Amino acid sequence: MGGLWRGAWRRVAFCGWRWSHPGSPTKVAESAEPFLRPGRSGTGSANRGLRRLGTWRRPNPGPDLALQPPRRPKSTNPFTRAQEEDWRRRNKTVLTYVAAAAVGMLGASYAAVPLYRLYCQTTGLGGSAVAGHASDQIENMVPVKDRIIKVTFNADVHASLQWNFRPQQTEIYVVPGETALAFYKAKNPTDKPVIGISTYNVVPFEAGQYFNKIQCFCFEEQRLNPQEEVDMPVFFYIDPEFAEDPRMVNVDLITLSYTFFEAKEGQQLPVPGYN
Amino acid sequence: MSTAMNFGSKSFQPRPPDKGSFPLDHFGECRSFKEKFMKCLRDNKFENALCRKESKAYLECRMERQLMAQEPLEKLGFGDLIDGKPEKN
Repeated sequence: MGGLWRGAWRRVAFCGWRWSHPGSPTKVAESAEPFLRPGRSGTGSANRGLRRLGTWRRPNPGPDLALQPPRRPKSTNPFTRAQEEDWRRRNKTVLTYVAAAAVGMLGASYAAVPLYRLYCQTTGLGGSAVAGHASDQIENMVPVKDRIIKVTFNADVHASLQWNFRPQQTEIYVVPGETALAFYKAKNPTDKPVIGISTYNVVPFEAGQYFNKIQCFCFEEQRLNPQEEVDMPVFFYIDPEFAEDPRMVNVDLITLSYTFFEAKEGQQLPVPGYN
Repeated sequence: MSTAMNFGSKSFQPRPPDKGSFPLDHFGECRSFKEKFMKCLRDNKFENALCRKESKAYLECRMERQLMAQEPLEKLGFGDLIDGKPEKN
């Protein structure tokens, strides 16, 4: 370690002498002084003017060994030094590119979410495995008459909503490809108008992708005046491809469940479109 | 929107209805059609195929009274009922 230190001293004195040589009026000692404290980058130091002679201190060896100024070339030969400078410059460029690529990847991962949503909107897939259903499909679909499915109905309300909400039929027997109508009934027994909004659920989950509602009363605010009772229809059909899905062979019962929540004035609930 | 917290199983994805939401029938204008439909269902042991005429009548009532967007009946799956001869499916 001591040997290394002595080498540094020699280099320091040599460099200091060389750089101060071309016409600089500063004294050798003054210019060499910053190099005696290897903790700082000598030539670029802004405090040079504030240095005074006589403030030489013997720099302590230990930690400074690790703090070699980064820009100091390792060799003193001008040709290899130029090459080293070149390598260093190239390394810097490569490092900049790599850092930019990393930042770009991070940005892309954040941008992926809205971009994917945009893609789903344009292609209409909406994240579901089955592509969007057109109304032409309803026109042309043929009922699969040998596959009878029982659809049961369930109705729930959230605890804070005081409506009486129930289905008007407990079950209905449909076949895939046939449109069907079902009714729910809701009554507002309170003395104030109440706005509710509902969502639905279909079990089994895998059958849910074949359950298509043409029109219903969900996801929009429904306002009931005091003591008012209304019929709420659901017009739906089961996709005929249900009969061809091997996973649905044992499915004979589908349960449609609606849940009503109370909606506050002006509250915007998220309509599923992206999920 | 299922609340099952297990990531392995598929969860249910609710989809918005194709043609949107039915406006509420506040004045009960189509209630008689609905009652006829419900009676038909109860009589036929809740078989939908036998009561399609009544459901068609109910939807026509709604369309007449601006409670539903006007749609040609074929697009609602009633193509076989338009000629007036109901097929027993």
